[in-house]
Amino acid sequence: MRNRLKDLRAQRGWTQADLAARAGVSRQTINSIEKGKFDPSLPLAFRLARLFDLAIEEIFEDD
Amino acid sequence: MHAQDQIGSYDRESLRRTAGLAGWAIAWAGTLALARFGPASLWDSEAVSWAAVALNVAVGIGWIVAHVRFLRSIDELHRKVVLDALAVTFGVGWVGGLAYVVAENADLVSGDLQVFVALLGGVYVVAVAGGLLRYR
Repeated sequence: MRNRLKDLRAQRGWTQADLAARAGVSRQTINSIEKGKFDPSLPLAFRLARLFDLAIEEIFEDD
Repeated sequence: MHAQDQIGSYDRESLRRTAGLAGWAIAWAGTLALARFGPASLWDSEAVSWAAVALNVAVGIGWIVAHVRFLRSIDELHRKVVLDALAVTFGVGWVGGLAYVVAENADLVSGDLQVFVALLGGVYVVAVAGGLLRYR
């Protein structure tokens, strides 16, 4: 699954650690999602979408 | 609340929980050693030996509960890493354990089962480390 997490995070000037703290997960989890190594669960995807004030499909898209 | 205030809070909490789990593991190993070696060197009473075994089982149950709580508390990536490692460890334990029983019944081996338990611990640690490296 592809995602725009890295771009959205950069737009807000957040580090991976910033986003991880806001989403309540580890920095490693954010890093793995950004690299496409790990697909987040639906609840985490919703949390991330809320943080960026976007819909899930505006952040994540199927390969 | 500023994100900056929270940076590393998950990692700190995760470390605290991991240390707690390690504490349970050490306590369990300690009570196991007590129950195993106590009768030969510390006391000469069957009742005390049974009490030591009961203590070991009680601490073991506490360790299991702590592990379940640990699994529920960690984030989803780390949960996946730990569950994958547990699956590998379970597989090695099941396949290796039964192979050992068959080999022992055929008088092919007569080793120490403690080595096998230690091997399972090693497999779990290596599997967790491998999982963490894979998602680095």
